This record gives sequence, C-alpha cells and structure tokens, in this order.
Amino acid sequence: MSYLGASLCVWWLSGFVPWFLLPDFPFLAIVFSGLFVSGIGGFLCALPPALFREITASGPSWSMFLGSMALYFGSREIGRRFLLRNEASLLSVVVSLLAIESFSVVLLLSLAGAHPFSILWGAQEAVRIAWTSLIAVPLFLDLSMRWRRVKE
Amino acid sequence: MGTFFRKWWRLLVAASLLVAAIQVFVRPSPAIERAEPVRATGVALFRPFFLAVDSVREGVSGVWNRYIALVGVTRENERLRREVVALREQLHGTRDAILENRRLKDLLRYSETVGRRTLGARVVGHDVSPWFRAIFLGTGSEAGIEAGMSVVTPYGAVGRIHKTHPGLSEVLLVTDGRFAADVMVERSRVRAVAEGIGGNFCRLKYVSPVHDVVVGDRIVFSGFDGSMPKGVLLGTVVSVDRPKESLFQKVKVQCAVNFQDVEEAMVILSRPSIPFRAGRD
Repeated sequence: MSYLGASLCVWWLSGFVPWFLLPDFPFLAIVFSGLFVSGIGGFLCALPPALFREITASGPSWSMFLGSMALYFGSREIGRRFLLRNEASLLSVVVSLLAIESFSVVLLLSLAGAHPFSILWGAQEAVRIAWTSLIAVPLFLDLSMRWRRVKE
Repeated sequence: MGTFFRKWWRLLVAASLLVAAIQVFVRPSPAIERAEPVRATGVALFRPFFLAVDSVREGVSGVWNRYIALVGVTRENERLRREVVALREQLHGTRDAILENRRLKDLLRYSETVGRRTLGARVVGHDVSPWFRAIFLGTGSEAGIEAGMSVVTPYGAVGRIHKTHPGLSEVLLVTDGRFAADVMVERSRVRAVAEGIGGNFCRLKYVSPVHDVVVGDRIVFSGFDGSMPKGVLLGTVVSVDRPKESLFQKVKVQCAVNFQDVEEAMVILSRPSIPFRAGRD
C-alpha cells in the first residue's frame, strides 16, 4: 500500500501539488519494513521503495539507494531495541529519521558548494516532515489492526 | 568480539551503507558505474507503470477540466447538460489539439533557429524530493540522448541531461543547487556564473559592484563554458543587492520557464564541449 501510494504520489500528483505537500511514502515503506517486518521479508520489502527512490530522485548514482538501505538497517535496529509500539514513539522515530536524512543531504550538498536552501525551503521541508510523520501514525494503526485481525 | 558483532551487526551494516552513500555522493567511484545495468533494469521495470500513471493523470486532469464547470446544474437540465458535456468534450479535444499543435510548432520553429540537431521529448514526471530539482523525459539513450546535453524550450533554458536510460532521461533543472553555467547580461554583456537556488530562481555569482546589472535585465547563456548553447534565455533579474561588506553583488534571477508547466522540451543533440561527468556536478 505504501509503495502504491508512493508511485501515485510521485507520478500522479507531482504535476499539480507542490513537493512539500506530498508525503514521502517510499520513506515510510522503508522505515515500516525495518520497524515491523522481521527477517529477510523486511529486507525484500525495503528493496522496491529504495530502488524507486534511486530512480525518481536526481541524486548522484546509487546514493539514494544506499542511503535508503542504511535507513532500513537503522530502523531495523530501532525496531528491535528501542521502539515502544505506541503512536507517540512511532511519531518521534519517523520525525527523527526524516529530519536526520534531510539534514544529512543538506549538509552534503552545502559541503559540495550548492546552496539551494533558504528559510522558505526550511519551512516547506518542516511541513513535509510533519505531514509525512502524521500520515505514519494512522497508517501504523491501520496496519496493526489488520495484523491483529489476521492473527485472530 | 564475536558477540559484539552478532549484537550490533545491523547498526554496523547501516553505518557502512551510510558511509558508502556519502562516498558516492561526494566522490562517485568508477566502480559504481558497473552497477548501471541493475539501475537500467529497475528503470525498465518501473517505466511502464510510470507511463500508465502518467496517462491516467492526463485522463483524470482532462475529466476534471471538462466537468468541473458543470457541478451544480439542476436535474431538469440534464438533457441539455449532456449535450453541453458532449459539445464541451469536442471543444476541449479540439482546443487541446490546437494548443498542442501550437506548442509543437513553436518547438519546431525554435529548433530551426538553434541550428543544431534537436529532439523533442515529452515530460513524464517531476522529481519531488526536497533536495533536488529535476524532471524526467520519456525519451532516453535509444534516441541518442547523452548526459550533459542541453534541454531548452522556445521560452528559455530548462536544464541539462543528468542521467539517461533506455526510454527515460533525467534533466537537472537550472534551478537545482548543483547546476552552474557561464551566463551574461544581454544588455551590458557583463559575465557571471549562474547557480540554481531552488524555487524558480537562480543567482548570479561573481558580479562585481562596478558591473552594470539592473532589475529587469535579461540573462542569457554565454556559451563560453560549452555547457549550454549561446544566447539561450535563462531569465530576468528580479533583485540586485549591493552589500557594503561584500566583494560581489547579490543578483537574483527569475527563470523564464515555469518548470511545473513544461509539457514538452527539446534536447539539443550535441555533446557538451567540456566533458560532463554525471553525478559529479
């Protein structure tokens, strides 16, 4: 579902809706795979959205894919050791990971000499992070409810 | 030691991948190019889906445009409404065809003035990541498109080809932070380096306070660095700031092209005179 949402969000809405209003579904798919899907299944679930990000973001070749896989392993570790399965904890994890990823890319681009970031951009990025994180909570509730039903 | 690795191997893998990602970001290794077939396979797998979604988007946008004006019409006018819808559909179809025809004629006329071999391509998607500014063209390496080639419209410059795959090309927009090219002020011939700053703007670097640049000046590519064709319009100066403590003026340029509205663009099929290395600019 996350992957489908990602595809739709990028290729359907990209012509109409500004980037900061589009929640980062591939990111959520990768993080959720790490947090909630254990074993090789989670790894396989994270591969398509990571490849999707690599193809649809215009970063240097393979940087987005490697970064996304690092994100998967990082969230796997968080899922195993630190995550409490409640809304507040999930919200803080997603916000932190989004902020860390964004800050890292901004830092790398700035160190490389590019300065396309302004205060307005920062505000827009904050909206994107907030929006994506808020979407993550109902998505988590929905998924856990379905999982409970499957188990029953 | 073994216990440590067993306990923390995921974190170590994550850290290694992060270091590798930073490495390819900062200094792409030639070894990474060997993995290009995998990327090409990924593109080939995703492309039909992208194109399908693109056509659905077009369809939905068409339906939206055609029907939105009819919301709220009462039931007794249903027959008339159906006729209106049918007529509007016809009209819209014709109008769309006329507009497309006009755009393509503009492109063709412009391609004749460019004096180089060109190729028209349809825009099939936008990069929506917050850090990069790019669009995707539905034509790729099979048509002779290569990294570094310029992409323009009759209204001005769009950007440079960043990566190519069969059936898909990625265009780095002039507003991307990694884009830089030699430009000049059309009126006073003052030279500068244009750099993308996001939004729909670029800034001019290294413009001395003694140089004559004013709001409203048109900025064109000089062609000296071989990266973009000479004379192609970049945009118009919207602000000039002369800080006392700085060696250079702060010049902001609004791009001539609105990148959200570009539907077709033209790739100039000549290699840049300065070798272009994808992913390093």
